[in-house]
Amino acid sequence: MSLAATLDRLAKAEPLHALLTPVADVRASLAAQSERAPQHGALAGLPVVVKDNICTLEYTTTCGSKILEGYRSPFEATAIAQLKAAGALIAGKTNCDEFAMGSSTEHSAYGRTHHPLDPARVPGGSSGGSAALVAAGVVPAALGSETGGSVRQPAAFCGVVGIKPSYGRVSRYGLVAFGSSLDQIGVFGSTVAQAGQVLSVISGTDPLDSTCEDRPSVSLPDSPHELKGTVIGVPGEYFPADLDAGVRRACQRAMERLKQLGATLREISLPHTQYAIPTYYIVAPAEASSNLARYDGVRYGPRLDGALDVRALYRSTRGQGFGPEVRRRVLVGTYVLSSGYYDAYYGRAQRMRGLIAQDFRRVFEQGVDLIFTPATPTPAFRAGDRMDDPVAMYLADIFTVTANLAGLPAMTLPIGRVQGLPVGGQLIAPAFAEERMLAAALALESIVPAVEEA
Amino acid sequence: MSVSRDEVLKIARLAELHVDAAALPALVEQMSRILDYVAQIATVAGSETAPPFVPGPAAAPLRGDEVRPSPLAFGPADMAPAFRDGFFLVPRLSAFDE
Repeated sequence: MSLAATLDRLAKAEPLHALLTPVADVRASLAAQSERAPQHGALAGLPVVVKDNICTLEYTTTCGSKILEGYRSPFEATAIAQLKAAGALIAGKTNCDEFAMGSSTEHSAYGRTHHPLDPARVPGGSSGGSAALVAAGVVPAALGSETGGSVRQPAAFCGVVGIKPSYGRVSRYGLVAFGSSLDQIGVFGSTVAQAGQVLSVISGTDPLDSTCEDRPSVSLPDSPHELKGTVIGVPGEYFPADLDAGVRRACQRAMERLKQLGATLREISLPHTQYAIPTYYIVAPAEASSNLARYDGVRYGPRLDGALDVRALYRSTRGQGFGPEVRRRVLVGTYVLSSGYYDAYYGRAQRMRGLIAQDFRRVFEQGVDLIFTPATPTPAFRAGDRMDDPVAMYLADIFTVTANLAGLPAMTLPIGRVQGLPVGGQLIAPAFAEERMLAAALALESIVPAVEEA
Repeated sequence: MSVSRDEVLKIARLAELHVDAAALPALVEQMSRILDYVAQIATVAGSETAPPFVPGPAAAPLRGDEVRPSPLAFGPADMAPAFRDGFFLVPRLSAFDE
C-alpha cells in the first residue's frame, strides 16, 4: 500500500472532518515512521488511524476536548507499540465525542464528523472519525475505544466491521480513562479478516495494565464453510415492536443466511436488557467523574490564568475546558457517588450489572454458542436530532451497552442497507470466545448481502 | 424535578466545576431528566440483593518490586502550564479553609 496514495485519500477525505491531525503532519510522521518500521511484520506497511483518546508519541492526544488542546503524551499506548512492532504505520488521530462521551461525534470540541454516505447525518460515536475513514475507504483499519458501544455503533452506522474485545483482552495502558470497568480498545476494519488481524496484533497480556488478563492473543480463525452445530441465540428483547422496520428486515435476512450455513437459531430471553441503559448511565458517569478529576490545569493541559486561588483555578479551567456533555456526566457522576445517594444509585447499579451479566451467563450455560442481534435500533440519524435530549442520545447504544456491562466480546458487521444507509448485525460471545465469534462472522460475511437494500 | 438548583450548585462545587449562571436552568432540567430516567432501576426485583459484577482478573497480578527507568519520553517540565525547580506552580491554597 503506497504512502502517497494513503495521504492522497486522507486529503480528499478532509470534508468528512474525521481526522484531527493535519495531513501535512501525517505526511511528515509517516515518512519518519516508515524508515523505522519493520518490513516483515503481520501488518507491514498497513496505515492505521487511531481515535484521539489513545496516546501516541507521533501526534497530539486531545480526546476531542479543549482541556487537552495541544497535549502531547510522554508515552504511547501498548496497543500503539504493538501495531508499530507489527509494521503498521500510524496515519493520524481521529475525531471523537469529547472523552468518548457521546453516540454521534457531535460532542467534539473540534466540530462534528460527517457520515461518509450523507453529510447531513452522523457517523455514530464516539469513535465516529475512525469509522468514517474506514467506511470511506481511506484506510483499511482503525482503532477506536468502547465504553458503551463506541466502536460497534459507529461501525454499524457507517457500514464497516467493528469489534469490542472482552474486558481484559487488550491492554488499556495509554487509553485515556473514561469508565475504567467498561473501557476497552476496539478495532474497525473494512472486512472481518482485516479487523480480526489487527485485533490479534493488539491483544494479549500486558504488565502495564493489571486488568489485562494473562491470555494469549486472539488468533484469526479460517473462514468456516458452515456453522453446523453452532447454536445462535436470538433475544426477543433486542427486537422490540418499535425497532426500525428496515433494521428488522436486514436482521431477518441475515438470520436466514445463518440458517443456510447450518446454524441452529434459538429464541432466548435476556430479561434485564431494558435496564442496561439506566445502569450504564450511573456506572459510566460515576467512573468518569472520578477519572476526569485529574484535568485541573496544574500538571498538564492548558490552564485558565488569573485565578486568585487554586480552587478557582480548578473550577475555571474545568468549567471552560469541558464541553456540555462532559459537564453533565461529571455532575451526574458526582451526584450518584455523593454521600446519601451512593447506595441508591451506584451500589444499586453495580448489582443491576450483576443481573445483566447473569442473563448472559445463563443462556451461554444452556448451550447457546453466540447471540445475534441488531447493532443499533435505527440507521444513522440526522445531525442535531438528538443534541437537545441527552436520554434520546443515550438510547442509540441500547443494543451495545449490555456487552460492556457484562465484559463480553461483541462485534458488528454490515448486513444490508435501508434507504441507502448501512445496517449492522451484532454477534455477542461468551467472555474470551473471540475466535468463535470471528469464525461465525467470517462465515456470515461471505454470504450476507452487505450493501443491498433489505 | 429530582434535583434543585441549589443541589446542582453544590454538586458542581464538589466536582470543582464552574457552572455559568446562564447555563444553570437547562442543566438543572437535564440532570433531573437523567436522574429520573436512571432511577427506574430501583424498581427491579433482585436489584438490592444480586451480587455486584466486577470485571477483570480475580486477583490483580503483582510485578516485581524493582527500580526501573522512567518510561516517559519527557518530564513534567515540558507538560505543565507552570513548573519551576521540580515543582508545579499554583496560586495560593487558602480557599481550602472554606
